Amino acid sequence: MTKLFALLAMLLAGTTIFYGLTQQSALVLRQDKQNNHWVRHGTQTSGSYRGGIWIASPTRQTYGGFRGGGPGAGK
Amino acid sequence: MSSPKTQRTVQFLDSFTYLTLLSTAGIFACLLVSPIFMRSLVSKTIQVDPDTPAQLAPIQLKKEPIGALRIDVTAAIPENHWVTYEIQLKDQQGQVIASGIKQAWNESGSWAEEGESGTWAEDDLVGGLDVRPTQAEPVTVSLNVLEYSDISGKEIDQPVPFEISVVNGAVDTRYLWTGIIGTAFLAILAILVTPFSGKVIIDKFIGDSDINGRGILGEANNLVRVSVTIKSDEDSPRSLFVLLVINDGNGEQLYSKSHSVHLSFKKSEGGKVTGATGKLSSFFILEPRGSYGFHVEVTPDATVDRTTLIVREHCKTLFPVSVTTLKSTQ
Repeated sequence: MTKLFALLAMLLAGTTIFYGLTQQSALVLRQDKQNNHWVRHGTQTSGSYRGGIWIASPTRQTYGGFRGGGPGAGK
Repeated sequence: MSSPKTQRTVQFLDSFTYLTLLSTAGIFACLLVSPIFMRSLVSKTIQVDPDTPAQLAPIQLKKEPIGALRIDVTAAIPENHWVTYEIQLKDQQGQVIASGIKQAWNESGSWAEEGESGTWAEDDLVGGLDVRPTQAEPVTVSLNVLEYSDISGKEIDQPVPFEISVVNGAVDTRYLWTGIIGTAFLAILAILVTPFSGKVIIDKFIGDSDINGRGILGEANNLVRVSVTIKSDEDSPRSLFVLLVINDGNGEQLYSKSHSVHLSFKKSEGGKVTGATGKLSSFFILEPRGSYGFHVEVTPDATVDRTTLIVREHCKTLFPVSVTTLKSTQ
């Protein structure tokens, strides 16, 4: 029984240490597939990659009160 | 009967239980050392005008095995204000390569209920973006105020102060905390089940003070745990004596010893004693494997309601224990 607990605990420890240290939750730049992206502090990404290019999401462009259109607006 | 040898030993510690604990400690150690990978690049307060994104100096990024680039932003807005801001990352050509929107707010008010009243204040001002580069390149962090208003929705055309910090090599501690909680849960389970490890050979109870059991068990390196549980009534003394006798297959007495067992009293809500329980655990190595008889006698027996005898073999322990080695000549 304790053998099973030890095995599970070591698996869990290995996985969480690996995911934590290699920052699997971070947004991977220029990567279309974001498998493990985990938002921090409720900060939603306002776009996604298509062919490695960041495309601002439509909801962002129609954001209430937002002046201008598209990324880098107001510059 | 030659006098049996009793020795304190760590030989039967459950290494798997300790391995489970070690997993928790390992993740915790990672959590403690994780700040050494961090290098602070920017930490300052900036004013951002609602119409003009503010840019920081370019940062040279490269692919790294540990950690990510972490941008943490705190909006320093007054009470009852809302601000929607966007953290952007731009490449060398000024193209946005990543962005995240945070809807931050800081609100307060007062409440009154059933003659009591007070004030409340809540906020959610911190936004953050972690990015992992896939190539070496300079990037620029830019902060953009999309909307700044008071709670009536009236827009305010004033610069918003932000505390911004950019750190490279940031480790995601959320995973580590998940791991610590998960493995700690498993460690507690392992600690709880360790005293019940091994194979049950005898499991008997009697509504009296004397109990006997016989089973086939033993051999070298096989820890036998004899557990006696006593249930006693409200007139129990502070402690009872438990005489434990072990005989071999020929009926020859190998061990006979009286143990003093302290009782823990159960109390009702009114503080009246309703009963008491006592527990004795003794450890043995019985050689060779064969038939062994266990005899338990609890004295004084007037208050004893129930006596349980459980004998397990191939046991593991949580702590070092005193083990008595008994050798049968059968």
